[in-house]
Amino acid sequence: MELLVIDKTDEELRMEVAGEDHTFMNVLKGALLKTDGVAAATYDVNPEQSGGQTEPVLSVRTEDEVDPLDAVESAAERVEQLTDEFADAFRAAADA
Amino acid sequence: MSGADGFEVEFVDRSERSARFLVRGLTPALANGVRRAIVADVPTFSIEHLRVVENSSVMFDEMIGLRLGLVPLTTPLDDFELGDTVTIALDVEGPATAYSGDIQTSDDLVRPADDDVPIIQLKENQRLELEAEAVLESGKTHAKQQGGVAVGYRHLQQTVVAGDRDEFEDDDGPQIVRGVIEEGAPEATDDDVAEGDLVLTDSFGNDLRERYPGKEVDVEDIPGAFVFHVESDGSFSVEELVLRAAESIGSRAVELRETVAV
Repeated sequence: MELLVIDKTDEELRMEVAGEDHTFMNVLKGALLKTDGVAAATYDVNPEQSGGQTEPVLSVRTEDEVDPLDAVESAAERVEQLTDEFADAFRAAADA
Repeated sequence: MSGADGFEVEFVDRSERSARFLVRGLTPALANGVRRAIVADVPTFSIEHLRVVENSSVMFDEMIGLRLGLVPLTTPLDDFELGDTVTIALDVEGPATAYSGDIQTSDDLVRPADDDVPIIQLKENQRLELEAEAVLESGKTHAKQQGGVAVGYRHLQQTVVAGDRDEFEDDDGPQIVRGVIEEGAPEATDDDVAEGDLVLTDSFGNDLRERYPGKEVDVEDIPGAFVFHVESDGSFSVEELVLRAAESIGSRAVELRETVAV
């Protein structure tokens, strides 16, 4: 996962997340939208054939003086927590 | 994204290579993330590169190569890393059929998941002898590397009896549902079920008219409840497949968190 910040202000971030696709980006976007201080979050991926920007670009806008990079960090932590919880619940059901 | 009250997982149907399980508390994003990771991100071994010693069969080397690539190989993921290779060999002389079970591997942990996949039928004086490399790669590179086949999910649906069907109404055919329903009207069925029980739609021919004779039935999606159907190609168990998929999303989240934090 290679990160490349394209634009960054106090409450806006555009960042390329190289090597990822919808699998992770959509989960991350979902988590960002549930993160405190995030006003808007989305990502964009172009097809291989488009010849332009083909790596996903994450866009985040925040409010209440939340730094967008901090928001991404806590969203990532949330995803981590969710997948761990899912794995624990699945393991418990499988062993039962 | 829920998760405050955690997830609830329940197996509905389970066998060695396939399972149907219900997860409550999922968002559509996470459900689809898990599905996509099962298909494209959990790696398996597949034959990739051939060194043909003799091929006097009726098929070209390339066609044999394709067929060999599609043979599922057992994949102990704890012992190998992405990109690792295992050497395999095959030597069959006609008249005989070369089966996946004839494949010899350099590592006992990696072997054909099924022994009865036919590769080619050989006639008198035909022979197939080759060496090959099986490589551990993810489904993103090639469909033969996918560990999951027929992986999908549906919303869990609840049945609600809205009333009696009009006796003289035109018969507009069966009312089909597929997957699993949550019983919302046990009194209207002949089965010994309680409200909230999970019922496979296969058990009543996928037709609600069969299950609730003479009743008008509504079907509603239950939010956040997804019924997954996962089938493994034999590379590893369904349980391992699902757990590895969740782990792969989690590990990317860890990577992102650590990179951003610096």
